[in-house]
Amino acid sequence: MEHYDVIVIGAGHAGVEAANISEKYGLKTALITKNLSDLGKLSCNPSIGGVGKTHIASEVDILGGVICKIGDKSAIHYRVLNLSKGPAVWGVRAQIDRDLYSKHILKYIKSSKIDIIEDEAINILEKNNKILGVECVSAGKIKSKAVILTTGTFLNGKIYFGREVKEAGRIGNSSSKELAKFINKNFKTMRLKTGTPPRIYTQSIDYDVLEPQPSENNGIYLSYFTKQNTNKNINCYITKTNNKTHKIIRDNLDKSAMYSGIIKSEGVRYCPSIEDKITKFGDRSGHNIFLEPEGLNSDLVYPNGISNSLDIDIQLKFLRSIKGLEKCEVDQYGYAVEYDSVDPRELKLNFETKKIENFFLAGQINGTTGYEEAAGQGIYAAINAAIKLKKIKFNSEVFARNNSYIGVLVDDLTKLGVTEPYRMFTSRAENRLKLRTDNSYERFGININKKIFNKTEFTQIKKNINDESKIIKKLLSLKFSPNDLMKKNIKVKKDGKVRNGFEVLKFLEPTIENFKTFFNISINQKLLTKIYFDSKYEVFYDREKKSYEQLNKNKNMNLKNIDFNKIPSLSKEILEKLNKFKPENLYDAGKISGITPSALFQIVKHKKIKGDRVA
Amino acid sequence: MFKSGTIFSNFTPLVKSPVIGYRISGDDVLEILKKLTNKNFSKNHSRVQIIKLFKRDGSILDECSVVYFKSPKSFTGEDVCEVFLHGSPLIASQFEQTLKEFKIPGLRLAKNGEFSYRSVLNNKNSLKQAKAINQIISNDSFSSLEYNKKLLFEGDQVSGLTSLREEAVDLFSEITASIDFVDDEEFNFKKIIKKAKIFFYKCHNILQKTKNMNKEKNICKIMLIGPVNVGKSTLFNKMIDKERAIVTNIKGTTRDILSNEFIFDGRMFEVFDTAGHRDKQGKIERVGYKKAQQLSLEIDHFFILSDKYSTKKQIYSLKKDFGIKNNYTLVETKSDQYQYQSKNVKINHNLEKDSVLSRLKISLIHKKYVSYKVKKADFNDEEIDFLENILQYKHDILNESDILIIAQIMRNILDDFSYEFGYINNEDVYDRVFSNFCIGK
Ligand SMILES: Cc1cc2nc3c(=O)[nH]c(=O)nc-3n(C[C@H](O)[C@H](O)[C@H](O)COP(=O)(O)OP(=O)(O)OC[C@H]3O[C@@H](n4cnc5c(N)ncnc54)[C@H](O)[C@@H]3O)c2cc1C
Ligand SMILES: Nc1nc2c(ncn2[C@@H]2O[C@H](COP(=O)(O)OP(=O)(O)OP(=O)(O)O)[C@@H](O)[C@H]2O)c(=O)[nH]1
Ligand SMILES: [Mg+2]
Repeated sequence: MEHYDVIVIGAGHAGVEAANISEKYGLKTALITKNLSDLGKLSCNPSIGGVGKTHIASEVDILGGVICKIGDKSAIHYRVLNLSKGPAVWGVRAQIDRDLYSKHILKYIKSSKIDIIEDEAINILEKNNKILGVECVSAGKIKSKAVILTTGTFLNGKIYFGREVKEAGRIGNSSSKELAKFINKNFKTMRLKTGTPPRIYTQSIDYDVLEPQPSENNGIYLSYFTKQNTNKNINCYITKTNNKTHKIIRDNLDKSAMYSGIIKSEGVRYCPSIEDKITKFGDRSGHNIFLEPEGLNSDLVYPNGISNSLDIDIQLKFLRSIKGLEKCEVDQYGYAVEYDSVDPRELKLNFETKKIENFFLAGQINGTTGYEEAAGQGIYAAINAAIKLKKIKFNSEVFARNNSYIGVLVDDLTKLGVTEPYRMFTSRAENRLKLRTDNSYERFGININKKIFNKTEFTQIKKNINDESKIIKKLLSLKFSPNDLMKKNIKVKKDGKVRNGFEVLKFLEPTIENFKTFFNISINQKLLTKIYFDSKYEVFYDREKKSYEQLNKNKNMNLKNIDFNKIPSLSKEILEKLNKFKPENLYDAGKISGITPSALFQIVKHKKIKGDRVA
Repeated sequence: MFKSGTIFSNFTPLVKSPVIGYRISGDDVLEILKKLTNKNFSKNHSRVQIIKLFKRDGSILDECSVVYFKSPKSFTGEDVCEVFLHGSPLIASQFEQTLKEFKIPGLRLAKNGEFSYRSVLNNKNSLKQAKAINQIISNDSFSSLEYNKKLLFEGDQVSGLTSLREEAVDLFSEITASIDFVDDEEFNFKKIIKKAKIFFYKCHNILQKTKNMNKEKNICKIMLIGPVNVGKSTLFNKMIDKERAIVTNIKGTTRDILSNEFIFDGRMFEVFDTAGHRDKQGKIERVGYKKAQQLSLEIDHFFILSDKYSTKKQIYSLKKDFGIKNNYTLVETKSDQYQYQSKNVKINHNLEKDSVLSRLKISLIHKKYVSYKVKKADFNDEEIDFLENILQYKHDILNESDILIIAQIMRNILDDFSYEFGYINNEDVYDRVFSNFCIGK
């Protein structure tokens, strides 16, 4: 019987990143998946990135992950959202050719030392709350020091086409019922749901009447390492629902899995089904639909914006009421999927379950949604497994909430849990101005090493860091008085303060020419943009740091052993919330909605008094 | 329940008066009552009883009214009793002594504001309400008194700032959506800035209105000045209906300034009695007179008192000393004793208080200096400070073109609101975002 360091169950985005990084850190790794063809499958929309999602993906990228690199290799259309708002919220989004993506992932994993096991895991082996290995249908028992479970939407998965129900993890895949038994027995789980739209044959769409959305391939890619994208780039198209569509849907809400009450679990507010949109925003004359090609050689189109769980005849009827889709033919209808996910508060901060040592959970099973969110967790869990098993050199402070989106995600999940599938938004990060996609090499710098990058990549980062520090050094040595700046047509306060070049940078229009004439330093645009925004946001970094430190003080106030019920002065609502969220410290308690300062005050009092009596 | 020993304190001043009240709050109230009265009060919630109190040696301390409030139906939420002793400071001191002699562990004198503090801890009052109690006690304006009473009796939601908080959350939600959900809806930077402007405009407006209102103070300050021995202190005592100032036939009796508040005709006054004027003042008298002069800037109206012996020159120098222009009334005193030819107001000590005050046209004076109409104030001092703090962000936001920086500053504003009104976390913001905008595909 093989003996692994790490077994990863599930080869979605969480599983692939976990297996990859675990292997890179020198752990003997196996990846179990039901079907080889599922490797890195994009279960839903054929795109990677977007605001918030790119942010996580770029962190995975700089930690040695694959999602961005392979994403760029398979991309056939780019857009950068928020381009005018600065790199802190740039959201590169790439349309991905599904087949290319799967092909590249498979090739990549096969070329690594990871053992791929095509099998179904049916049980987790443990003794005295310590992991022993995994049991599979065909391979039987496999031993390992750690297990990372990334089974996505498969646990007790059910899919709904309108009122028709099937047991499945997603279309075409059986649900994992055996494994679900172990999980439900050992952990607190909940039922969540999500949905996906129908897939339409591209030949049946009348593109002539639709507005095209061309690719904006402007040199901003998913991966830090990508120099260019050589694939043919193709258009997406935009169309809209109309009053007729709305009427059809409204008249048939009783034929929707979600609206007829068949599905009771929690859906996502920010991925609403078309039924939701029409019920909540019925006054709109139309909702946008983005027609996204599934690949260069695919004859399918993904109509983004109309995920639903209506009976299939109704789906066809409403589709054909939409401009350009009047004669559309459907390959596969939209459906909703409902599945078990684990309450992420069952996890320690390192994503190991509190109950079973060396058992890690990552991805959608933790109550999240999205490929990038899954990838971020996969890499995070595997790094932590490597830290534990091999004591690798890794500074985990980079995962502080104020230094990374992965940190924000981990903190939110393990502290607050979820009530609906969790997706990343940049506004979740208090320190948004610092957590930028263009500076991830800086934020994760201490952990960048030769193990996880090849030579070219490693030199690229080193060179980048060197160039930057040289330029910063020069800028710091240049001095400008308000008078000097006046002469150069820059308005600053006449405060007599002499500013260095770095401080002055924020007053310039950040073009290479400007930079050259003003400072007499040559620079490339990418670096210029980065240091320009560093200069601009500097004051906020300081402020943020102070308030973070302040908050950290509250973090030291441990609430673990407090029985809130013993503080009768707390109102019923507040007690309920505290008991639900079980904050570990005062800082976390303060983050719970509706908890008032006076409630915090009472908790502190209670704790102090108890403490006094003990002393 | 919040617990840290039983506390007691007098809630009326410890001076000779009809009653001196004590409040005791905490777990040991029943035991204390038992020891004081030999009776068990546990079934006597909220009933006033006239009962004998005994000292440790068994002798009678007092016979007086006692009320017991059972937890949690009391001001602090704990067991409370209120004792209304006969108003002698001596009895009060015996009462405190007796409590001490009970040697109950933890029983102690309450700190300032501790009863209100406990009421907050035990959720009988919110933090805002407790602050309102303090504001009521230290209030001199009827309008904000009404507001604070409303806060106290109706709870936080009556605060006018609650609606501003909602607007702040709305504004922040829109900013958030315009960044995180750019491709889901149309957002317009100019519109957002306009919304921000309106928000600050509202803050500013409230502040301005409230400030103007605060200038319209409700108390009218009057000062009695005049040569020595003309009867200033006599009038002072009459106005306040108490024998506070010492009245003698010795010239220069009053040396320091005395002041007191009184209500007449539903209006509030503060009256100052001063050291009399004479050419040869004693040292202390002179200091007192100087002090009165310094106060004169705050005074709305002066009554210059004179009698048969007062000279024009004296009146003249008084006016000069106090910088008086038109805000004075000449009053001739002791009209029972002397005949006057002038048309000045005449009073004497045999007149009833009300008749003296009407002769002095004191209500009219109030009207002249203090806005007659008592307007409704919407905010108390704490809230005004809060608004001023919020307005400090105005410039930074309205002059910024980077929406991310605006968002960052807006977050600070929300933190401030959080502190006053309970935490606003990301989820609250997203709730707003997803109900106001159609987000997601
Ligand atoms: C129908 C549907 C709609 C979605 N809609 C959206 C959306 O609108 N927006 C969005 O952001 N995200 C959406 N997602 C979510 C997104 O696809 C997932 O969040 C992401 O893929 C999760 O990655 P994962 O690695 O956690 O799991 P998955 O990608 O689901 O991978 C799970 C893997 O585990 C394997 N597996 C499961 N059970 C076993 C077992 N017992 N033994 C061995 N292998 C096993 C499977 O074969 C699979 O490879 C949707 C997903 C589905 C299925
Ligand atoms: N007959 C009569 N005597 C009065 C009247 N008012 C005051 N007196 C007497 O006048 C004397 C002085 O009165 P006060 O009120 O002490 O005078 P004052 O102006 O305060 O004096 P100083 O404090 O010394 O400046 C006392 O003996 C009073 O009883 C009055 O209306 N009629
Ligand atoms: Mg006097």
